[in-house]
Amino acid sequence: MNRQTLSKFLLVCSIAFGMAVLGSEASPNPNGSHEHETDDRGVLQAIAQAPAKTREWKNPYEDQPDAVLAGKKLFMQHCAECHGAHARGIGRALNLHLPYVQRATPGELEWFLRNGNVWAGMPSWSGLPEQRRWQIVSYLKSLH
Amino acid sequence: MKVLRFISAALCDSSWRRTYARLCVGLFFYLFFAGLIIPQRAGAQETPYFVTYSHHLEEPGNLEIELSTNYATQTGGNDFIAPWVEFEYGVKAWWTSEFYLDSQGTFGDSALFTGFRWENRFRPLMREHWINPVLYVEYENTNGADKTMIEVVGFDTQADHAIRNAIASKDHQHELETKLILSSDYKGWNISENFIAEKNLGHDPWEFGYAAGASRPLRLAAAPEVCNLCLENFLVGAEFYGGLGASWNLSMSGTSHYAAQIVAWELPNGVSFRVSPGFGLNSNSHTFLLRWGVSYEIEGFGRKVRSWFR
Repeated sequence: MNRQTLSKFLLVCSIAFGMAVLGSEASPNPNGSHEHETDDRGVLQAIAQAPAKTREWKNPYEDQPDAVLAGKKLFMQHCAECHGAHARGIGRALNLHLPYVQRATPGELEWFLRNGNVWAGMPSWSGLPEQRRWQIVSYLKSLH
Repeated sequence: MKVLRFISAALCDSSWRRTYARLCVGLFFYLFFAGLIIPQRAGAQETPYFVTYSHHLEEPGNLEIELSTNYATQTGGNDFIAPWVEFEYGVKAWWTSEFYLDSQGTFGDSALFTGFRWENRFRPLMREHWINPVLYVEYENTNGADKTMIEVVGFDTQADHAIRNAIASKDHQHELETKLILSSDYKGWNISENFIAEKNLGHDPWEFGYAAGASRPLRLAAAPEVCNLCLENFLVGAEFYGGLGASWNLSMSGTSHYAAQIVAWELPNGVSFRVSPGFGLNSNSHTFLLRWGVSYEIEGFGRKVRSWFR
């Protein structure tokens, strides 16, 4: 591969990358000023794919007010960019107040946070320790 | 004294002045963009490694800018400092792209820009598993004076870095590097293993290397209040890396191997600091390495860029 060919290859790759950046999924407004309700059935289906055993999982921080506060802090750090500061969803990001989210068991929500919906744009949060995912679940369950 | 001599030499050397000027311009743009668009809150799920990769990719739409440096002692030559800048962008939740600019300065020699790298990491499995694979492809356009040591492959030894910059920089390297990244999370620990295969596109056989690391936050649960000095913001770990020879001779001897401790401090506003003292494990290795880095996580960068085109 000579330098000219390589330069052309890099140019094409750069253009493709630029188009991918510009064309990637719309992210929401971090201050939540344009929040609106969404009804993403894809996410509903994704949550429904949680293994049956996850429904039995108990949140170790259930009924702990500090866990809700910690969960809110973590939500603001990691989730509010897409779901909005009030968790009402923006664009394709889910409104977390919707009944089918609130009906999901804590175990299903923890499983969903761990796995994400990667192909649809929701990252996996397996890099957060399990304890912090449960704290986020505590906050989500406090929204209803 | 050695550091002072280095700084004074740097100020007298015109190539250093050029490097500093470039660094200042870069820093200016960095602060400019950061001041314009960095949000008050940001949070990634970073692992603290310098060499090892985990399966955790950049969140989609986020941009991380990192300035890192590798200092190494050198036998048979002069010690050196090799800074590099990384721009890491989450294109999709399953695709992260990263661009590197490498440079180095050698005590008693010169300082120079040594090239660029462009890497892409792809996550083939959409769910979490006990072991999570990630595929890594990188193109490198560097020269022989590159001393960032972001990976060790083949029969890389410290003697490669004893060559004077004027000579080493004449060797241009167009390389394709691939990695199989395997990574697991267990009870707060991240355990990652990387298998590296690198090929010079012009000549040379495939060269192989490895990297493995483990890390953990000092506290797994988060405190209810926002805090900078909480234990939850600190990660500690260790990593091991080295060469595995080439396709004509797979071997762990005749190459270099390192062990390094790592400490990272991640602030809630998206800034993080990392430091890693490392030690050579055989006579082919640099006796001591010290890496440090500072990074900014800019949330929603892609959205902001797109908004400029509307």
